[in-house]
Amino acid sequence: MDITAELRKIVGGRLSVSPSELYCYSSDASQVKGMPDYVVRPKSTDEVSRIVRLAYENEIPVTARGAGTGLAGGAVPVSGGIVLDMSGMNRILEIDIDNIQVVVEPGIIQDALNEALKQYGFFFPPNPGSSAMCTIGGMIAYNASGMRCVKYGTTRNYVRDLEVVLADGTVIHTGSKMLKSAAGYDLTQLIIGSEGTLGIVTKASLKIAPLPKTRKLVIASFRSAEVAGQAVVKTFSNGVIPSACEILDRVSLQVLKRYDPKLVLPSEGDVILFEVDGTENSAHEAAEQIIEVCSPLALSIKLAESEKEMADIWAARKLVGAAVSRLDPTKTRIYVGEDVGVPIKKIPELLRKAQEISEKFNLPAMKYGHIGDGNLHLALFIDVLNNDEWDRLNRAADLVHRTAIELGGTVSSEHGVGAARAEYMQAQWGPALEVMRAIKKALDPKGILNPGKLGL
Amino acid sequence: MKNEVKKNEVKKETVRAEKVNGNEIGEKNSKELPFEVDRRSVYKCVQCGTCRSVCPVFEVVGWESANTRGRMLIIKSLLEGRPPSEDVLPSLASCTTCGICAAKCPAGANPPEVVEAARAQLVKCGVTTEAQEKLKTAVTTSGNSFGETKSRLHWLSDTERSKLPEKSDYVYFVGCFDSYRYPEFAKKTFEVLQHFGVTLLSDEQCCASPLLRTGFREDAEKIMEHNLERIRKVGAHTIITGCAGCYTTLKNNYPDEFRVISLPEFLAEHLEELNLKRLDLTVTYHDPCHLGRHNRIYDAPRKVIQAICTLKEMKNIKENSRCCGGGGGVRIGYPDISLELARNRLEDVPEAVDYIVTSCPLCVRNLRDAGGDIEIIDIVELVAMAME
Repeated sequence: MDITAELRKIVGGRLSVSPSELYCYSSDASQVKGMPDYVVRPKSTDEVSRIVRLAYENEIPVTARGAGTGLAGGAVPVSGGIVLDMSGMNRILEIDIDNIQVVVEPGIIQDALNEALKQYGFFFPPNPGSSAMCTIGGMIAYNASGMRCVKYGTTRNYVRDLEVVLADGTVIHTGSKMLKSAAGYDLTQLIIGSEGTLGIVTKASLKIAPLPKTRKLVIASFRSAEVAGQAVVKTFSNGVIPSACEILDRVSLQVLKRYDPKLVLPSEGDVILFEVDGTENSAHEAAEQIIEVCSPLALSIKLAESEKEMADIWAARKLVGAAVSRLDPTKTRIYVGEDVGVPIKKIPELLRKAQEISEKFNLPAMKYGHIGDGNLHLALFIDVLNNDEWDRLNRAADLVHRTAIELGGTVSSEHGVGAARAEYMQAQWGPALEVMRAIKKALDPKGILNPGKLGL
Repeated sequence: MKNEVKKNEVKKETVRAEKVNGNEIGEKNSKELPFEVDRRSVYKCVQCGTCRSVCPVFEVVGWESANTRGRMLIIKSLLEGRPPSEDVLPSLASCTTCGICAAKCPAGANPPEVVEAARAQLVKCGVTTEAQEKLKTAVTTSGNSFGETKSRLHWLSDTERSKLPEKSDYVYFVGCFDSYRYPEFAKKTFEVLQHFGVTLLSDEQCCASPLLRTGFREDAEKIMEHNLERIRKVGAHTIITGCAGCYTTLKNNYPDEFRVISLPEFLAEHLEELNLKRLDLTVTYHDPCHLGRHNRIYDAPRKVIQAICTLKEMKNIKENSRCCGGGGGVRIGYPDISLELARNRLEDVPEAVDYIVTSCPLCVRNLRDAGGDIEIIDIVELVAMAME
């Protein structure tokens, strides 16, 4: 069968087999690579369904892709086949304030959705660092979260219903606009985080939340990342739940200052940014409490003085991961071992071990991340033209992953497993991985949906 | 079987990757090919996709190859040995080099520079678009980007031409657009600048910007040398130009022998001497990419406008300003994309303004071609109104 001709019948000119185009779809922001044979940009559920059916009948791999900002190779077609570029399906179909939800297509960009919701006084809380470019579809597929999930939860907590195209092209709905349901398996939750291995999301109903009246930011610095971690544990055990709780170690701090020298950040130590939100009174009270709890451990502690100061710090924080070349133009940040997480009590230990690994392999590193939920983004950076540094990098990343598992944590807190972390699934899940494989087999017997991912 | 599903087939590769699904992307061929761009500047890109959210061409086209990350990837593949072919042109020739990606890039990469370098390499490999070739032929044979054969100073009378000082500290570099498409801008600019003893080059040619942006570096050298000789002959220490493209080229690509100043900067420096009257107008200002983001000239045009009338800003301004779509050879190579960009830019115009003011004739042209109800004028026209 002439697959190109068949695909063209479905999507017309929104098909490409040009080698240059295919190359652009052969990677995301990870180190995983794989060339697709076709790229299509569907515009409707019907088109997706027809494409997937064609793929099913001809046993062609299908890999869905949003903005390609993933850090685990989830959108990379490691077995070739068809890449479904879903970013053109980007409409907001309904803003239903009465039911406190929105219905969107998967290609909508997170920030664009929040911009549209702002006028109603609502927002979609999960906010990855890539919120300016990542799609909601990608966020659902990888259960993305971000800086505010410590209080608001992850994408998983905000999905009410999904329209999903299954492996044979069948279209199903997994939920409804209901707040709750006790009828049957929760297929919505099964699809979230399944990385496009069980179905392709073509529509999503999302719960939204009222925008807080105010946000305040406490900036505290500590003599070491480990002490900073202790301050976080202490804050939580004193009953304060910040809306964001981020660590920036001293290297990250240097990078941020290089990125924007006007940023008001401490001049020494490792920093924790505690954000609290709510009413003026409740936020003020929570901020005061954090200052009181952390002061005995801190080198310095202060409240951000203006909304602008706060906004600038958050904007820079969102970009810190990629900004390391500002510190040393010969170094590039490589996203490996960058998303481990551990139970909150183990954070100081994880920070210490991460530092030891960085020193053991003689690789400079930034340590930053959502420490409030135990998620550390370890940013290792190397000279990409140096083969020895690549070797050390991969060995260091491997050790980071294994350390997280030993500490009872996870190899990925929010970026996903994809192909980059597939080899650790057995170690993390043991026999539970067989259950996942059984589910995969039941829903995708021919194994066409995003093969080579999740260690399935 | 190519489409066979291979379970758990995971490829974790580095920049030294050799084979991906049958496609060679290793270093094997790189020594045989003349394709060389500064690798460090390419590898700064971590493929985070920040540029994807701001690239104006991608907004219109929708394919990954039409955004900066895609272009950087394609350039990377060429560096790693993929033979240069026409297949890369829709991506690499469609960048307006507006630089918003560079302004936003967290890693500090400078994609317009990389794209221009890649274009130069493609030219060496003989991989060019018809539009590129047409533009090159026009500039190299006629000395201007339009292939016009009439005198560049046709907008001056013979008497005016004969009175041009042979020596001066100041030269007004007119540029192709103002010479041939907007001679009224040239005339008004010259009238203003004449008060300051400015002269014109007797045999000005294209500044070489179109050649440099589209990769014809060797041809550009020759034409730049031609202009340099004329400037040296006049003995000027300052070159003033009203074209953003000429400005960035004279300032950043010519030898550092003289001061280059944009018309808005010159006007802003001499506001008091211009005796401008206040006009009952509200205007908005479009930052040309090559004046704004590329050279950080944001305040001078605003200072001039505010000395004359009320300025109401566009939705995206200064480093966030969106491209008019005219630059980087896109207007000539991909006119539909170019106009779509201009239409998108017009959406940023605030309500209730009398004019859209800018300081680049290419922006004027592209924005005018995109239609819209509000007249687009050059800053010199606003100044001329205030001098009447």
